Amino acid sequence: MIEFKDVNKTYPNGVTALKNVNLTIDQGEFVAIIGLSGAGKSTLIRCINRMHEINEGTLTVNDVNVGKLSGKQIRSFRRKIGMIFQSFNLVTRTSVINNVLISSVPELSWWRKLVGLFPKEKKVEALEALDKVGILDKAYNRVDQLSGGQQQRVALARTIAQNPDIILADEPVASLDPVTAKVVMDDFKRINQETNMSILINIHHVELALEYADRVIGIRQGEVVYDGKSEDVSQDVLDQIYGSIDNVPKMDDPEEAEV
Amino acid sequence: MNKAVAQQLEKAPNRKVYLSTIAIILTALIIWSFMGVNITGFDQRGTQIATNIFSGLFSPDLEFLFDFTSGGGVPGLLFETIAIAFLGTVFGSFLAIPISFLMSPSIVSRPVAFVTRLVVIFIRTIPSLVYGLMFIRVTGPGPYAGVLTMSLTSIGMISRLYVDVIENLDRGVLEAMTSMGCTTYQKVRYGILPQLFSSFLSVTIYRYDMNLRDATILGLVGAGGIGAPLIFAMRSYRWSEVGSILIGLVVLILAVEIFSNKLRERLVNG
Amino acid sequence: MRETVYDKIFKPKTYTLSNGKEVKQRASRAPFILLIVLFVTVVSGEVTGVDLSMLRTRGHQFIVILTAMFPPNFNFMNNVWGPLFDTIQMSLLGSIAGALLAIPFALLSSSNIIRNRLLNGFFKLFLSILRTLPTLISALIATFIFGLGTMAGTVAIFLFTLSYIGKLMYEHIENVDMGAFEAHESMGLSKVEAFRYAIVPDVLPTYLSVSLYAFEGNIRFAAILGYVGAGGVGLLLDERLGWRDYPSVGMVLLILMLVVFVIERISEYFRMKLT
Ligand SMILES: Nc1ncnc2c1ncn2[C@@H]1O[C@H](COP(=O)(O)OP(=O)(O)OP(=O)(O)O)[C@@H](O)[C@H]1O
Ligand SMILES: [Mg+2]
Repeated sequence: MIEFKDVNKTYPNGVTALKNVNLTIDQGEFVAIIGLSGAGKSTLIRCINRMHEINEGTLTVNDVNVGKLSGKQIRSFRRKIGMIFQSFNLVTRTSVINNVLISSVPELSWWRKLVGLFPKEKKVEALEALDKVGILDKAYNRVDQLSGGQQQRVALARTIAQNPDIILADEPVASLDPVTAKVVMDDFKRINQETNMSILINIHHVELALEYADRVIGIRQGEVVYDGKSEDVSQDVLDQIYGSIDNVPKMDDPEEAEV
Repeated sequence: MNKAVAQQLEKAPNRKVYLSTIAIILTALIIWSFMGVNITGFDQRGTQIATNIFSGLFSPDLEFLFDFTSGGGVPGLLFETIAIAFLGTVFGSFLAIPISFLMSPSIVSRPVAFVTRLVVIFIRTIPSLVYGLMFIRVTGPGPYAGVLTMSLTSIGMISRLYVDVIENLDRGVLEAMTSMGCTTYQKVRYGILPQLFSSFLSVTIYRYDMNLRDATILGLVGAGGIGAPLIFAMRSYRWSEVGSILIGLVVLILAVEIFSNKLRERLVNG
Repeated sequence: MRETVYDKIFKPKTYTLSNGKEVKQRASRAPFILLIVLFVTVVSGEVTGVDLSMLRTRGHQFIVILTAMFPPNFNFMNNVWGPLFDTIQMSLLGSIAGALLAIPFALLSSSNIIRNRLLNGFFKLFLSILRTLPTLISALIATFIFGLGTMAGTVAIFLFTLSYIGKLMYEHIENVDMGAFEAHESMGLSKVEAFRYAIVPDVLPTYLSVSLYAFEGNIRFAAILGYVGAGGVGLLLDERLGWRDYPSVGMVLLILMLVVFVIERISEYFRMKLT
């Protein structure tokens, strides 16, 4: 269970990315988070595994107060949370299986880390994870020989091999074509149903969000403006989340200006 | 474990033998090379000289360093070195143009390309100092011999880089021009030359950088440049003079490197 | 379009489209560049005393030494092996030591690994300055410090390799995509582990390939280091050229060519496999 209580997050440069967020997400939910660019979606999910720190309020994940963790505790806490990125974030100059095996690195002995060897049972686990996302035959190919959709599934296999309770996905299908995007979303759905992992997805594609997620959270300028079943999302709700056209961030918006 | 997974596990590429063979050979080579080089620490005299060089660097002979009269001071010598490297690069890059075409498998037949490559490799292996001595017979000692040496030795590297440029020519443009019914002359003039010009220029500027560094050593055989005064200064233990020359050299080469990087950036970005 | 000084002097061509918009085409820079090159060439020719007619009248002198080398003195072959192995050993040891020390230097120079601008800048400057020193000159200095012999040559090659690989590697490391590193941290790997499994596999092939390339080049450098007394075949070349014993020089060069050729092919083969 993930619990946000009055969470506020302000970046060192003064941008307030989360305002008074209160949320409870139960184990096994499939949640889509939607909102404009710069609304704070990435910030929200990155606070959950403490890639970002919150400033105020409390954030509890499976009865652990995330803000209180330190050093080694953060690392072992992160082992139970998987993360998927828009740009896949794989090591491209090595094989698919080596990427999946990385999920087992913290459990290895020092000499194995030095030489780069993995025990057989870890290899089996990695191959099984690849089998689950349907790219077992690519196990020994180099990642840079795969298509975008295949790479995202390698990333998914890497996360599955970690055997987490929660998967956080930051725009996982944004760089994929519509058909491949559906294939990857199907994988998420299947994993959610088969293993009861909670899944939180940031997504710009509203139709996909409504089709796959059970619950939708709408964020606008750091505030949760909608939280409910995906069936209940109407045009009014979308207007509330996205605003009318003139609310689209301008070039003087801090994030846009950086680009 | 299901069957497909078990099968895939079997298929894991086994590179242990390959990697350990390489590791063994490498270790043997390292041991062998340790045996050949007699590692000497530096004795008292060495330490003394090292401190002398350092103190020379920090108290250079300023008069010598800023003597702008032609010939005598560091600026004059550096100028001569720049000129040697420049002419060597210009001549070398001109000579490299026909050679690079003869080396490109997409222009001439494979055997011709191979033989030219072989010849160029062999030309490159002869140390520049040997060429320097040979040219001194032609021109007498002095910077002219240095220019000729630089021209010859830079052909090897420049033509190899030119070949890469030629092989990577954007052929799409040529196809497009053929489809528009352009003549061969038009294709070469508007399709090939513009592409080649800036890339060749960029390669040449890059090589100038290196030639400048190499030109400093020609003085060793009397082929001009700043190398000879440096050796004289060292052999006669005039450390502040050595300091001046080294400072001048480092500043010059750094400046040229920065300048040539800027220039090449501009060339690439148009 | 940004106007530079050049555009002010040589006005760009202006085309007016039918809808009233103006498009400017810069005047070609090629003639200007050629003019500068020509000017500098003439000045340099003056400074160095280039006289092309001399090539015609005395050019055959160049061939004199070359022909004197043929046929090479095959009896001299046995004198070549010792110094030749010295040369190879010097460049091997110098290259390996330089390549190894280049790793910490490259890491300390990379702003995405060590987040300390001052430290990065210091090591970058150090590598740049080291790179400006021609190998033969550092060898010369080394002979004064370490005495005549292979040690001086090894040190010179070591210094050059350090600067060369160090620079190429920090440039590569700074351009590495840090995405995988971030992903590994999100999985609970420590920074060191994330570095080991995200950055190292990305950088290693380039590192090995650059090191091999440096070694290839070093063999050629090492061949002349004997000139300043830093050991190897250069010593023989210097001696035999001084005695005008050209057939022996021919023999040295012939063996050198063959050895360099073989080493280059081997190294090229492995470099191809690495990319
Ligand atoms: N590292 C950072 N430092 C400072 N400000 C940041 C940082 N990351 C994000 N922000 C700011 O926080 C706000 C929320 O950003 P966030 O990345 O969470 O948006 P998002 O909803 O994920 O947008 P997108 O859909 O474009 O990914 C933005 O205004 C952004 O400029
Ligand atoms: Mg985002």
